[in-house]
Amino acid sequence: METQKRTPWRRWIVLVLMIAGWILAGIFVPVRPEITVAAEKLIEEPLIENFLGQPFYLVNTLPTLALTIVLLVVIAFVANRSLTKSQKTDLVPTGIGNAMEAILEMLYNLTESSAGAKWAKAIFPWFATIMIYVLFANLLKLIPGFESIGVIHHAHGEGHAVQHMGGVDMILPEKGEYILSPFFRGISVDLNFTLTLAVISFVMIQVIGVRAQGLAYFSKFFNTKRMFKVPFFGAMDFLVGLLEVISEFAKILSFTFRLFGNMFAGVVLVAVVASLLGNVSILAAMIMMFELFVGLIQAFVFGMLTMVFMAMATQGHGDEEHAEH
Amino acid sequence: MDGQFLLDAMRFVGAGLAMIGAAGAGVGIGLSVQGALGGMARNPDTYGNLLTNMILGVAFSESIAIYCLVIAFLMLFKVV
Repeated sequence: METQKRTPWRRWIVLVLMIAGWILAGIFVPVRPEITVAAEKLIEEPLIENFLGQPFYLVNTLPTLALTIVLLVVIAFVANRSLTKSQKTDLVPTGIGNAMEAILEMLYNLTESSAGAKWAKAIFPWFATIMIYVLFANLLKLIPGFESIGVIHHAHGEGHAVQHMGGVDMILPEKGEYILSPFFRGISVDLNFTLTLAVISFVMIQVIGVRAQGLAYFSKFFNTKRMFKVPFFGAMDFLVGLLEVISEFAKILSFTFRLFGNMFAGVVLVAVVASLLGNVSILAAMIMMFELFVGLIQAFVFGMLTMVFMAMATQGHGDEEHAEH
Repeated sequence: MDGQFLLDAMRFVGAGLAMIGAAGAGVGIGLSVQGALGGMARNPDTYGNLLTNMILGVAFSESIAIYCLVIAFLMLFKVV
């Protein structure tokens, strides 16, 4: 029996892309981009004044935010339609509906295993929303042109020279007086995004704690249970409770800076490696691959920590009663 | 040696010093992976459960290193 030999043509595409990247990086030399912690303004003048009377600029994370949300809505719509169609025929989901169902089922099982069946339903939406949102926000930088196509501004500090080529201005490695603000910048590389998510997560942890335990939830922070029975250890408990308040607010800080720091470090690393090594572009591509892995892990960690903290908030600390014996 | 030069030099020194904190995070990550791997080797059934918890612990330790990195970046790129 003669088996037909498969021609492995796909691997040639990878090789061609690698060589093309190498040649292109030789012609258009990578330039170290302007690294800023805050998002860059696309238009110098503020668009409107917000409700506090502060100027509201069109920064380059706003288009990315819109893109992420549009993409998520489209995926939700397509998955919904696919699932409705499968419900009418034979109840076997196919395509994207199947994929989403598999992912969500996995996440739900994870929630159930660490939060218990009773509260999994309340906790799951926050966990899954945060995780999928952050995952999309992190993976969106795979789109070509991200952080590299934009508008050219006059530099305030040191800048680069600009070459006019066929209707397009190109940044050159030489020193000059222009910098580039890209149209799209990853939204996780903006403190506003991570801080907002952290505050949402923090508030919902408290809300779920109160829903589960009522006002007894706050006895974790202002612990006066044993104050009059055992004065010395009661006072110690009270002080430990106050420390608990601090560590509760530190959650916001650590949520914010964990995601922001990881993604910002990734951007800087890719930019520095690409501009230091010039046309050895394959190394920057490998770092980029590692950054995608980091983005996946950080999305998982953000969602997972929210879920674990919520699960901890639903359980009162029953170990106090044990300690008395 | 004017003041600006000294300020720039000290900025780099400070960024380097800030990254010392990453050593502690490295030790922490190593210890948590060691514990998880030991557990997995003794009881392979707990693989999935240990893996998720290990990643959580590693993320906690790693965030310490990331704080250091953010401080170092803030110094290097003259944000504050």
